[in-house]
Amino acid sequence: MGMRITNEQAETAAATLVASVMDRYGGADVVATVEHHSNDFKMPFVRIHVPPQHWIALAKTLRFDLGVNYCSMVTGTHFPEGGDDRGWDVVYHFLRQPVSNQKPHTNTVHVAEKLSGRDVPLEVEVLITLPQTDIPSVPSVQSIWVGADWNEKETWDLVGIKFEGHENMHRVLNPHDSPEGFHPLQKQHKIRYHDFNEMYDDAQGFGRKPTDEGRVK
Amino acid sequence: MAQMWITMGPQHPMTHGLWTLRVKVDGETVVDTDAELGYIHRGVEKIAEARDFTQITPYCDRLCYVSAMTWANSYIYAAEDLLEVEVPERAEYIRLISAECQRLASHLMWLGAYGPDIGSLTLMTWCMRDREMFLDLLQELGGSRMHYNYPRVGGVKRDIPVGFADRLIAKIKLFEKRIEEYEMMLDESTIWLVRLQGVGYAKAEDMVNAGVSGPNIRAAGVNYDVRWAHPYSVYDQVDWEPAVEKPTSVKGADCYDRYRVRMEEMRQSCRMILDAIEKIPGGKNTNYASGDAMILAKAPTRAPEGATGFSNYECTRGASQFYIKGGGDGRGKNPYRLSIRSPMFITIPYVAKTMIGYKVADIPAIMGSFDPCIGETDR
Repeated sequence: MGMRITNEQAETAAATLVASVMDRYGGADVVATVEHHSNDFKMPFVRIHVPPQHWIALAKTLRFDLGVNYCSMVTGTHFPEGGDDRGWDVVYHFLRQPVSNQKPHTNTVHVAEKLSGRDVPLEVEVLITLPQTDIPSVPSVQSIWVGADWNEKETWDLVGIKFEGHENMHRVLNPHDSPEGFHPLQKQHKIRYHDFNEMYDDAQGFGRKPTDEGRVK
Repeated sequence: MAQMWITMGPQHPMTHGLWTLRVKVDGETVVDTDAELGYIHRGVEKIAEARDFTQITPYCDRLCYVSAMTWANSYIYAAEDLLEVEVPERAEYIRLISAECQRLASHLMWLGAYGPDIGSLTLMTWCMRDREMFLDLLQELGGSRMHYNYPRVGGVKRDIPVGFADRLIAKIKLFEKRIEEYEMMLDESTIWLVRLQGVGYAKAEDMVNAGVSGPNIRAAGVNYDVRWAHPYSVYDQVDWEPAVEKPTSVKGADCYDRYRVRMEEMRQSCRMILDAIEKIPGGKNTNYASGDAMILAKAPTRAPEGATGFSNYECTRGASQFYIKGGGDGRGKNPYRLSIRSPMFITIPYVAKTMIGYKVADIPAIMGSFDPCIGETDR
């Protein structure tokens, strides 16, 4: 029969993690809360707001003291109209997974309902808000989670967030010879609409002119 | 002997798509590697910013053309988190069945492509034959062979057709026997064992640290699975257990373990589908009209600024995740930002590094065992 982590287990795990983060960083503008998804099971997750200067310290605590061992995604967002305080934000998603190395010829079969404490899988979202600036930058956590390496490369490539201390930063999805400073997910780059007959008459786009100024999004 | 860099790809059978593996070799031994991605980057994240929440689904289908249904579902769960929608249970069952059919088709595509890597061309033809059964089933649901555009925010596009359940059960029962045929052919083939056993070791903790997920983790001996750890859909109500292997070495899972875990996962998918089709609320042989409250809940079309949606989904190659910020287009009709986490984008650079120390001839075996898919990698 199928199994799943119950809401109570996740609730307890999230509250414990929030308490330990707040206990240690509560005085340093770090705000950790338990939030809930609004689909399906309304599962809880932890959301942490952290100023960039405390991010490395918090990252080390999460990784080495609280067992958050999996960096799953990094998202950068550009807010050109967000005001002086919020020009960019960077969201890290982490998971805590009960995974350990196995001895030969053995395996670990977790039973979801029986997990407790540090073994309960948990989702952690870390938000870093940056002021309006031309060169947004946050410290890199490449050395703490190996999984952050290519995620940060991608975020720099597409959004232009600079990760300080990231070794071997290079283009990953855009061509390697893209112009410096070209990051397509920044909001000054617009998407154009084309009429369907424009697409039929000139499928290759050789004769296409930017005649759609009024409809540019 | 002098060391030199060799470029494998973008047109190399080992790549299973378009990407470049640069290998530094010392004689026959790999001493350094480097992955180059981005050959088919289409900018789906940017396109999504100019589309409303229904229009994004077909783009998500095309993220991975081998497992379109799971990627579309993955997006839909994030959109439902953003728009705060409750999904009817029948729709959840249909999604589960369709996603597991897709998992079977995707694993068969993997096995079929892995066979020629190892030198067994017969496997390709066998797997394509069986994959067609499941593509036919999915075609009945979505109307097209590979890109279905089937799930909707709040449910599914249309109900399962009358008679679908019988065809599904017959095909699954047939396929359960076929899995045994595959195992008879492969587990007793000397070539298969020699090429797979003892190469491509990867430890569980290393993989988690590097961001590898899904069957590759379970091959290393831990039954961590998003389907129970971060539950969605109705996986807690149907009969299954996560596939897990017992690696034979302290060095972790080898290619053979990763092959075994996918075979076991196909068995579990069959078991799940057979159970789900019996338990489906509303009955397996009834057919509700499109838009009926049994299969599609009413959903808002706009999300306010500041709202976020996140989904963590067990795709066929690992955990796929979507993160959506609402409030685009001024009126919230579009997402302001949609971010996609592809499991293979993280895995491919990791796998490239695990090849160091092995022979050049082992590269296809190691790479293929992680099931690379470039559509989702480059997005």
